[in-house]
Amino acid sequence: MTAATSPLLEVRDLRKEFPIRQGLLRRRVGEVKAVDGVSFHIDRGETLALVGESGCGKTTTARCILRAIAPTAGQILFRRADGTAVDVAALPAKRMRPLRREMQMVFQDPFSSLNPRKTLLDIVGEPLLVNGVGTRAERTERVAELLRLVGLRPEYMRRFPHAFSGGQRQRIGIARALALNPSLVVADEPVSALDVSVQAQILNLLVDLQAELGLTYLFVAHDLSVVKHVSDRVAVMYVGRIVELAPTERLFTAPAHPYTEALLAAVPKPDPRLRAGRMVLEGEVADPAHPPPGCAFHPRCAYAIDRCRSEAPRLEPRAGGHLVSCHRARELELRGIGVPAAPPLGSPPAPLAPPRPATR
Amino acid sequence: MSTAGPILSVRDLRTYFFAEEGLVKAVDGASFDVHGGRTLGIVGESGCGKSVTARSILRIVERPGRIVSGEIRLRHGEGGGADDLARLDPRGPEMRRIRGGEIGLVFQEPMSSFSPVHTVGNQIVETIRLHLGLDAGAARARAIEMLRRVGIPRPERRIDEYAFQLSGGLRQRAMIATALCCGPRILIADEPTTALDVTTQAQILALLRELQDREGMAIVLITHNLGVVAELCDEVAVMYLGRVVERGPVDAIFHAPQHPYTRALLRSIPSVHAPVRTKLPAIAGSLPHPQRRPAGCPFHPRCGEAIRGTCERHEPELLPVRGAEQSASCFLHHPVPPGPAVPPGPAVPPGPAASGAPVAAP
Repeated sequence: MTAATSPLLEVRDLRKEFPIRQGLLRRRVGEVKAVDGVSFHIDRGETLALVGESGCGKTTTARCILRAIAPTAGQILFRRADGTAVDVAALPAKRMRPLRREMQMVFQDPFSSLNPRKTLLDIVGEPLLVNGVGTRAERTERVAELLRLVGLRPEYMRRFPHAFSGGQRQRIGIARALALNPSLVVADEPVSALDVSVQAQILNLLVDLQAELGLTYLFVAHDLSVVKHVSDRVAVMYVGRIVELAPTERLFTAPAHPYTEALLAAVPKPDPRLRAGRMVLEGEVADPAHPPPGCAFHPRCAYAIDRCRSEAPRLEPRAGGHLVSCHRARELELRGIGVPAAPPLGSPPAPLAPPRPATR
Repeated sequence: MSTAGPILSVRDLRTYFFAEEGLVKAVDGASFDVHGGRTLGIVGESGCGKSVTARSILRIVERPGRIVSGEIRLRHGEGGGADDLARLDPRGPEMRRIRGGEIGLVFQEPMSSFSPVHTVGNQIVETIRLHLGLDAGAARARAIEMLRRVGIPRPERRIDEYAFQLSGGLRQRAMIATALCCGPRILIADEPTTALDVTTQAQILALLRELQDREGMAIVLITHNLGVVAELCDEVAVMYLGRVVERGPVDAIFHAPQHPYTRALLRSIPSVHAPVRTKLPAIAGSLPHPQRRPAGCPFHPRCGEAIRGTCERHEPELLPVRGAEQSASCFLHHPVPPGPAVPPGPAVPPGPAASGAPVAAP
């Protein structure tokens, strides 16, 4: 990730508005600015996390990048495997198809995202078939290879999804996304539907695959602790805009936006000794159809001043690749996650009773 | 706060589902106590039986499930005896008085728990009139007061709104108001914050803590989120495949866990305190299919410390470790009981869900 390499993806001032229609004639009476001027880039081999609460526009941003929906305005520059750059936002839908081989998606729900009536061979082989890759035998071979890659036995390829657990299904979804050797993988909440003990396996798998295949991830998530384990940089969104973007460690230890501080404080820490002194953010996420004037966060912000109520802050750079959109960013000293609890959890002293040898 | 003894004692509860495809032992010997004014967390992954345990206490287990054995003793108020809820008729008058009266329930999804065609107020007023016998005016006044107590702004207006008009956080607050409107001694909250955003979750957890301080009810918090447990609970019961495998005070569970499953679970949760981009120590394999429960200790196929020849043949019991307060069911701590080993269980067919996925590259 040197400065010399041009980014794989560059998003400039992306906007997506959904019309609000009312009345018998379904007249347009306004619009929801789901994504309201979002800009960021992702370098090759990097993971950028897009975090925020529901309705902040993170999923809409991801869907625009994949052109699952058409953006209202802005540029989405994607560098193709042959080195040329294309603006995904301006491309007619017909010409998207060859590009889709290079950008793929992993979905949140492994239960609804796999067709229950198809076998693994059909599901994972579908992208190959649709894009006319290889002969039938070659495709079967490739599916076997993909299943091995994600830690499933190739012998299972004739089975149906119902025979697999949630974590295994998510592996199938990942195998399908990798079938065409994409360079960009957009993972939308890939572990939030999984059990804790399985979540770790999938996160590790994603990190391993990235190293092995040189993948670039856009990782959409609401869970900051998950994000900490996978991302190089994190962008925090609030009501359609990026309010802060920083390298992961920096964002967690030295947040510069009051919303980031509040999000970090709100994450339940799995340690009862860290209970005291939490700060609870009042109020609710603003309605993107009627965002407050000025900074959208000001009604909930403990540090808001008059200027915040009238003038929207711009996302401005600070040192260390840190961008923040707050009028008071320079003067505020915000709290990050602080120091971790001394011993890592789950590594207790040896059990009091020595392990018993087997009875026979 | 807790006076002598628990107000609710569950002993060796077994709730089975007699499904056509086979028997599912959803809860298979769960024991724990709930003390007045304190919070018990029941934590576990999907299929561990935590929700069925809650439903068993309230006797709202749906067919083909039923309680096959065990006791659920609810102690009466000052000095009284106790009812065994497991013996009561689920549709009888005692159970109807207890459900919603003495024990309130908060569900995960407030949208589907409220009727869409009645106002939130109607539903709270109905509960109050049914249990407390107040007239319409007094019940409405109490409902407004409850909505105010759970932090709903302008309750006198909100009371006439429908569930869909409220945001997720307000809906969950209204749900809590409904559960608390008759002054229950126990509040059972089944994943009360799972459907909510983190900042809203923090608000609801703070609200539950504040309400407990003020009203003094016991809370049974059912969740898969260990962070939520650490925030709110005094005692914790960790469940795995229908059994309580470890229980104890919250600090001991997090800082001196004794069961290998508890330890593995704690190690595998992502943490904001972890160094950036570090791999997590994952638990190998996946949760077994409920009809293919392993013989012996249910955790042994995934356990890094399993003792060959013991753990797959004998069933450990939940026994005290580290003094009287903490218990674990594990042969690392307790001798193997004398007597014959359990039969080696039905031969497990080599299916993908049973064998567990080979974990990605070691």
